[in-house]
This record gives sequence, structure tokens and C-alpha cells, in this order.
Amino acid sequence: MAKTIMIVDDSASIRQVVGIALKSAGYDVLEACDGKDALSKLTGQKIHLIITDVNMPNMDGITFVTEAKKLPQYKFTPMMMLTTEAGTDKKMAGKAAGAKAWLTKPFQPPTLMAAVSKLVLP
Amino acid sequence: MSELDAALETFAQEAEELLTEMEDSLLILEDTPDDSETINSVFRAMHTIKGSSGLFGFNLIVAFTHEAETILDQVRNGERSIDASLISTLLSCKDHTIKLLEFCFESPDADLPEDLQQTGDILIEQLTGQAKQEQLAVTTGTTEIENEGGDLSADNWLISLDFQQDALRNGMDPLSFIRYLKTLGEIKQILTSTPDLPSGNDMDPESCYLQFKILFKSDADKQTIEEVFEFASDDCDIKILPPDSQVEHYLNLLNTQTEEHVSLLGEMLIEAGAITKNDIDKALDAQSKQDPEQNEPAKPLGEILVEQQVIQQPVVEEALKKQEKTRQKVATESSYIRVDSNKLGQLINLVGELVISGAAMNLMVERHGLADVEEVATSMNTLVSDIRDTALELRMVQIGETFSRFRRVVRDVSKELSKDIELTISGGESELDKTVVEKINDPLTHLIRNSLDHGIESPEQRVQAGKPATGNISLNAFHESGHIVIQIIDDGAGLDSEKIVAKAINNGLITSAEEMSQQEIFNLIFEAGLSTKQQASSLSGRGVGMDVVKRNIEALRGSVNIDSIAGQGTTITIHLPLTLAIIDGFMVKTEHERYIIPLSMVEECVEMDAQEYEIDEIQHYVNLRGEVMPYLRLGDYFQNRKSHSKTGRESLVVVRFGQTKAGFVVDELLGEHQTVIKPLGKVFQSLKGITGATVLGDGNVALILDVQGLIRHATKNKQRIPSQLTSVA
Repeated sequence: MAKTIMIVDDSASIRQVVGIALKSAGYDVLEACDGKDALSKLTGQKIHLIITDVNMPNMDGITFVTEAKKLPQYKFTPMMMLTTEAGTDKKMAGKAAGAKAWLTKPFQPPTLMAAVSKLVLP
Repeated sequence: MSELDAALETFAQEAEELLTEMEDSLLILEDTPDDSETINSVFRAMHTIKGSSGLFGFNLIVAFTHEAETILDQVRNGERSIDASLISTLLSCKDHTIKLLEFCFESPDADLPEDLQQTGDILIEQLTGQAKQEQLAVTTGTTEIENEGGDLSADNWLISLDFQQDALRNGMDPLSFIRYLKTLGEIKQILTSTPDLPSGNDMDPESCYLQFKILFKSDADKQTIEEVFEFASDDCDIKILPPDSQVEHYLNLLNTQTEEHVSLLGEMLIEAGAITKNDIDKALDAQSKQDPEQNEPAKPLGEILVEQQVIQQPVVEEALKKQEKTRQKVATESSYIRVDSNKLGQLINLVGELVISGAAMNLMVERHGLADVEEVATSMNTLVSDIRDTALELRMVQIGETFSRFRRVVRDVSKELSKDIELTISGGESELDKTVVEKINDPLTHLIRNSLDHGIESPEQRVQAGKPATGNISLNAFHESGHIVIQIIDDGAGLDSEKIVAKAINNGLITSAEEMSQQEIFNLIFEAGLSTKQQASSLSGRGVGMDVVKRNIEALRGSVNIDSIAGQGTTITIHLPLTLAIIDGFMVKTEHERYIIPLSMVEECVEMDAQEYEIDEIQHYVNLRGEVMPYLRLGDYFQNRKSHSKTGRESLVVVRFGQTKAGFVVDELLGEHQTVIKPLGKVFQSLKGITGATVLGDGNVALILDVQGLIRHATKNKQRIPSQLTSVA
């Protein structure tokens, strides 16, 4: 069964590109537009990797990761932060919250796939 | 016979039987290695003998048979296979056991003689050594691979992963990383161990207790491999030891690093790719964590890196060596100050003036016979000449830097011409005046390009001629009697004298080559309008270069010569004066004119009536103690007004330039003179036989002779005259 990856980003285009790249590599993809939306979509799902942006309306990425980690179901789920180049602080904050993987924006699909495949295989 | 002796007797018999049986079984095993019953009987033999020996206190036998028993137990359990070599070792073990038994029966309490001990040790080594190799291949135990895999580590990376207990909780799946690692290369072997795994209730099923040692074969660099585990870096202790085969690569990279400034050890190693930034950070961390209360000096970073198994010892050593070398170099460099070369030029001009006024002062002192001033003047003269030498030395630079620029030229040009050419440089430490160095660069470039283009043949032609495909050009410099000599030697095809002659006749340079020496023919290529290569190429042009090269070199008061052996190569030799400013000269006088000959070119002076030499006025040669050389009467050459009554005797000054010698006949020898060279004005530049002028102490001007040009003239004279004579006759 294909592994499911959730992409959380307020930019529809990023969600789209990431979605295309992941789907073509054989993953199932779930999209969410912010932390709150993502949290509401977590229940009743089996998600193998969560990729989330940091700066989002309603609920930012770090809060979302912290909340998601509290759910027993997602205790072991790898989480990947999308950070900007200057965002070293954010990266550290993300790591502290439990998102141990990261990807620096802007990125190309191959970079994304390399990072993803370090964490889950299709 | 006591009961014990009887028991011993029984043991001896029993042992003998068992060992015989063991031998038989081993021989059977050679044909049917899988027969478990036979294996069992061999095992039993060792097992029983071990047990009984223990009872009798034969500890030597116990120790030995124990080893054999252990191996046989493994064979019995299918943990290792039995093969011919193991069987022969076991047969030797059986023989050895018999000897041990004999020895123990005869002298139960004595120490084992050395030869027996040795045989035993060797056999045990053979048994266990084989066992170890086998084990590595079949088990997944916690064996330390580094100790055994001498050949395995040679071209494999050794990656140690020690996952923290939180790894799984943080979403890090060790397996994913290892799978991803496979995209970079081949995983040769993985040893998984769980040394920290607690038992029973203490174990947390959510925690990760796994450690991995991975032998990994890949061409990727260390940074790339480390990036695989980037996300796990918080939850995993990662050590990546490069393969031994990489060590040499790192050493080479370290050696090519620039020596401009002292780098930190870590920076050097990162630049060479031997370690990553991460390794350094961890090592620095470890360094700072040392207990400050122990008052021990901080452990060197290199030592920590080796300890952390991220790098091999030799690489660190090499880096440290290199660092030290750079440090020394930079230290010496920093004791230099940069000076505007114009200022230096000005200084040297002033020193020149000082030399001239010094000479003027000497003259006055002499003329007025001031004895008490003379002493002061003498010591001042010494100082002035010291200042002169030091000032000139300031402008001296090594020619090596100019030479090494040609590495690039050779590399680029040989690529362009698709030839394979190496450049060898020697004598780069020879020094000469900076102004000369600057001006020699262009002619040298031209000559080297010429050698690359015309001299060295294509690899195919070279192989056909039985020469190595890679051509060689060597640049060599050395000092020779006040000159620097630069040689450009190629091992190419050499010059084709016939072609040169044909071309020279064609172009009207000569009418026939009958009286020309090989060397003179070769030197024709420095004449304007001569190129022997059929097709002019973009590199060496159409023969418009060599005459310019020669002119440029002669403008520096130097000379260029060419010599060649067909099929073996060409040597171009350039002679250059060390400096263009001030020289030690030798002053001579004909009639009322004074001339300066550079002292470095003067071989000797002979008085005319010394009977040591004779002049042949007709054939124009002089015979000096049996040595024949051309001569020149300077007064005649420069057409000085001849006073009819000859007052004094004439003298002969023997000069040498390179290999050629000549004699100059002069009226008077005036002795050494510090000569400040003043260039001649443009009007006089075409004058032959003169390269410059100098101002004398009395304000008069003396001309500096172009010795080389005059020698050439004298040599020509000597040859021409006889041929004229013969034509008259």
C-alpha cells in the first residue's frame, strides 16, 4: 500500500508542485492549507510523513507540529519543516517541537524527493 | 604400580585409541565432510582427552585440546564448515596431542620445551584464525570489524550509526536512511548490535537501541554521505571513516592547498574533503567539554578527530605538517616589506651617482697627493661598493616564479595542439635583476611556444620514432661568470639544417652554406624571415618572431644560441647579464679613448712583449701559449686617430663569452672600475661594438664594449681573411 504524505502550506502552488512530485514517485498525498486545517484532517488517517510550512495563517507550523506530536497516533510520524534560508531560529524551534527533518525553500523537486526518501519509501 | 599409575596407564591406552580413531575419522571426513557421526567421533576424542587430562592435572594438554574442542564443537553444530585445510590442521593437532601426552607422562611437572610450545601456539593460531574468518562471513554478532577487515576497509567507508533512544519517537526510521544510503553505493556489510538493550521491564518498546556498523562502497565524497544522515544528526551519533584508499587522495589534496596563509587544521581537512563541518563541530565540542579543573592542556583537535574515528591518523599528520610548513613560509614572508620598484630604481640611480662622485673624489685625492685623505677615501670606496652591491641585490628576484608561469602555457598549448608535453623546471632559485626578469618574459614565452609547436612532435610521431609519447621541455637556469644562463631544452625532432640552409638561400640570407658550421646554420633561424615549418600556425606565427626574440635579448646585453641534434631535441641557451645598472668593469685605453670591458668577461691580460704570445697579422689570429684565438685591435676597430709614433707597448686583453674567446689589443690597461651603465641615446643605438657608456670621475665618458658583438666580429675577420688570400692567390 502506498505511503501517505501530508503537505501543509498556505501557498496552493507549493502544495500543487509538491503533490505532483510526490504522487509521481508513488506516494498518496493529503493537502492542508494551514496548521488548523491540517490538525482537523489528521484524525482517521494513516499518515507516514508530514511536510509543513512554518509561516501560515490560523496556526503556524511549529504549533501544528507540537500539537500533532501530542496525538498518540502521530508520535512516531516523521515531520519535515519547510524553512527559509535565513530561518535558522525557526529550524531550531521546529526541531525542538519534534520536526527533525527540514527542507530549505526554495527547493527543486529532486531535492524534495531526496529528503523524503531518507524518511519514508513509497 | 599404584592405583594412580594404573589409571594413568589406562588413560594412555585410551588416549592412544581415541587419537587413532580421530585420525581415521579425519581421513574419512576428507571424502565425506558432512558425515555428522564421524565429526562427532573426532569431537569426542578431543573432548575425552581434555576431560581425562584435567583429572590427571595435565593442564598443558587441557589448554591445547580445549582450543581444538571448541572448533570441533562449532563444526558439530554446523556453525562452521570443515574443509581440507581444517582437516590437515586437526591432523597436526592430533600429532601434537600425542607428543604432549608423551611429554606429560615422562616429566609431569616440567615446563613445556620451547619447540612443543611453539608448535602448539601455531596450531592454535591456525585453528582460531580460520575460525575468525569464517565467523565474519556467517554471523551477525557484534564483532569489531575494524580489527579483522584489513582488506575490507581498504576501499570501503566505515559508517558507525549509534541511534539515540528518541530516534523512533522523532520519526526517524533507521531503515529508511540505510535504504537511502544504497542509492549512493553498495552496502557491503551491516553489523547490527544492541549493546544498550535493557532486559525485561526496563526496555521501552518505543525506544531505539540499535547500533549499526556499515561497510559501504561508494565513490561519493564524505559530505554527500554525511548528508544522508542529516536529519538523524540530532538523534544519532554518526561516525564516517573514509576508506584507506581515500587517504592518499586526501594527502594529495592537502599538498595542493595554497600556502598563502595559515589555515586552521579543521579548515584544511574540510577543504580536502577528509572530514565534514559536522565532524569538526563535534570535535570542537568535545574539546571544550574537557574538564577545566584537571588543568591539563586541551587535547589537540587532530587527536580528537582520530579518536572519534572520523579520520585516519596519517591524514591528520600530513595536514599538521603542511600547516607548519605554511606557517614557516608565511612567517618568512611577513618579514618582507613591499617597496615601490620606482623607489628602488631611484635608489639605484643615486647609488650610481655616488659611485661616479666617489671616483671623482679618488681622482682629486690622487691628483693633489693628499696622503691623509687617501685613507678616508679608501674606506669610503669600500662602503660605496658595499652599498652598490646591497642596492643591486634589492632588485634581485628568483627566476623561479617566471618559470612556473610557463606551466600554464605548456599545459594550454599542448592541449591546443593535442600533444602530450611535460615541463621540467630546474634552477628556479637563480637570481637576477627584476628589470631583466620582466623583459625576458616575452622572449621566453615565444621560445617555449616555438618549442611546443615546432620542436615536440605529435605523440604518434614520437612513438614511431621510438620515443616516449609524452614530450618533455625543460627550463633550466644557472649562474655563469656574472651572467645568468637560461636553457630551454626540448626532446623533440631537432632542427633540420638542410631545410634551414635551403630556406636561407631561398630568402637570400646566405649564398652558400659551405663554410658555415652546424651551429651557425642553426642560428640562422634567428635571422629575420625564416621559418622552416611549412604551415604557419597561430602559435608561432610565420617566422616573424625569432629575430624579434633575438633583438629583445640583445637589448638586454644578452645573447641567444641554439643547438640541436636531429631526432633528439633542441637546446636554446640564453645568456643574460645579472643586472642592467652597475657592473664591475675593466678599463682600457687606446689612443685617447677609454673603454670599459665588463670584468666578468675578462679572462686575463698579457703584455705585448711578454713572449707569451705571437700575433699573426695576416691571418688575424693570436697564439697564446699554444691556444689560437681571433683578435681585434680596438684602436683600428673604432678608427681612433692614430698617432704615428707609438709611445708605449701594446697589451692583450683576453675576453670570454660563453665558450668563445678572443683577444683585444689595447694601448694601455687602466684597471678595475666601478661602472654605472648609462644607456646610449637613440642616435647611437645602431653603433656596433658598444652597449652603453659611463661617466668617469673626471667627467669624461668611457664607452662600454659589447664584448659578444666584438668577439663575433673578430671571429668573422679570422675566417674571412684566409679566404680572401686564397682568392687573391
